[in-house]
Amino acid sequence: MDRINVSRLSFRRKGSHKKDKHRQEHFENSSEDIPRIKYISQTEAQSIDQQLFTEYAFSVDQLMELAGYSCAVAIAKCYPVEEMTKDNHAVLVCCGPGNNGGDGLVCSRHLKMFGYKPTIFYPKRPSKPLFEALYQQCEGMGMPVLSFFPSEAHLITDSYNFVVDALFGINFKAPVRPEFEPVMETLKKVESPICSIDVPSGWDIEKGNANGLQPEMLISLTAPKLCAHLFKGKHHYLGGRFVPRTLEQKYELNLPPYPGTDCVVELK
Amino acid sequence: MELAGYSCAVAIAKCYPVEAMTKDNHAVLVCCGPGNNGGNGLVCARHLKMFGYKPTIFYPKRPSKPLFDALYQQCEGMDIPVLSFFPSEAHLITDSYNFVVDALFGINFKGPVRPEFEPVIETLKKVESPICSIDVPSGWDIEKGDANGLQPELLISLTAPKLCAHLFKGKHHYLGGRFVPRTLEQKYELNLPPYPGTDCVVELKDTQEDGKA
Repeated sequence: MDRINVSRLSFRRKGSHKKDKHRQEHFENSSEDIPRIKYISQTEAQSIDQQLFTEYAFSVDQLMELAGYSCAVAIAKCYPVEEMTKDNHAVLVCCGPGNNGGDGLVCSRHLKMFGYKPTIFYPKRPSKPLFEALYQQCEGMGMPVLSFFPSEAHLITDSYNFVVDALFGINFKAPVRPEFEPVMETLKKVESPICSIDVPSGWDIEKGNANGLQPEMLISLTAPKLCAHLFKGKHHYLGGRFVPRTLEQKYELNLPPYPGTDCVVELK
Repeated sequence: MELAGYSCAVAIAKCYPVEAMTKDNHAVLVCCGPGNNGGNGLVCARHLKMFGYKPTIFYPKRPSKPLFDALYQQCEGMDIPVLSFFPSEAHLITDSYNFVVDALFGINFKGPVRPEFEPVIETLKKVESPICSIDVPSGWDIEKGDANGLQPELLISLTAPKLCAHLFKGKHHYLGGRFVPRTLEQKYELNLPPYPGTDCVVELKDTQEDGKA
């Protein structure tokens, strides 16, 4: 049988030929032999992002789209739309001033496509084209935007089936800015489930925050952060299925296999 | 483009599950044209790789625009090989690849096929591995089709099916590109079918001739 002789134009990266033995042995050996998924530091998280955007040539909006989409998919698995009975599947998405907020805007858009009724709270909008476009996309989908944050937690609990926390992510450095303090304090008292994107907002990326937000769901993006060890909620998912094999190997992330074509995988 | 290419990969994986693609360890060929359809193909190739397929790309005419440069570099970063020339004979493709993704020409195509691409299309017509066309079977008139053109087995229409899809005679027709805002859909009376749950693709049945979905 003839085979095509592949004459490669592309540079083959070192190490990529190594077989992922741990992946092959996953189902053969006992669980002790499988390398555990790595929980990464703030520096590692920032470096991985940098390399994705430079060496691997991804654009921020490209990966943000995949990240936000996977958050929406994970949320829908845990809080199916038919069960979200308050006010016709109403949900609140709180978006912060950085990339975590951008993930939230993308997530809202997909939640809307899935049949939820998202309302956005976005008090500090960066004047960068990426975020302006994401905001305009949400407007084009007919999503309401709150002009001020509800003053009392029970107002949120009564109106929204869950709250997506997309306030702060891996670039957060304590303390929380004054404009966001009241938001965080109110969210802590909300009884609807909180779904945090990547990092529970206000937590130290590595040490967590025992007095901080206690989300019911966490969607780690790319790889879980060290503070996720202190996550005590019900559902922990991994999303952002875009890490090239060589980058994963470089940081020894030991990512679990994603099922089939799913863009999320539950971490237990 | 990212959402479109991703939905193509998902639809393809539904029809041609990776475990069943036994030639050369899930090897597949992705043929990318000089425009946005080609870009969709590059995105699709990347996601197919994440799903466990072994894509090889054929990309003879690369536009010198940052978007396409970046998409190409992303494929390189995923160790996706690129063919330097198109196999001269159809059986070489049939023997080596479980299926071929046709991402050559899309909605901006105006016949006839350019000379550089003629031999590619002619060879693809003789390939026996299934052809999966992105948005429009390449070389078809967007509205009238082409009875003598490529006959793909799978068509993934993006956003909404094009008129020529009425003439599609293959096995699987999917709709992808789940990003159309309701107001836009209503403006054009697209009457899109509901996508199941959080799926980014939906199968379209009975879209031939009378056009009922």
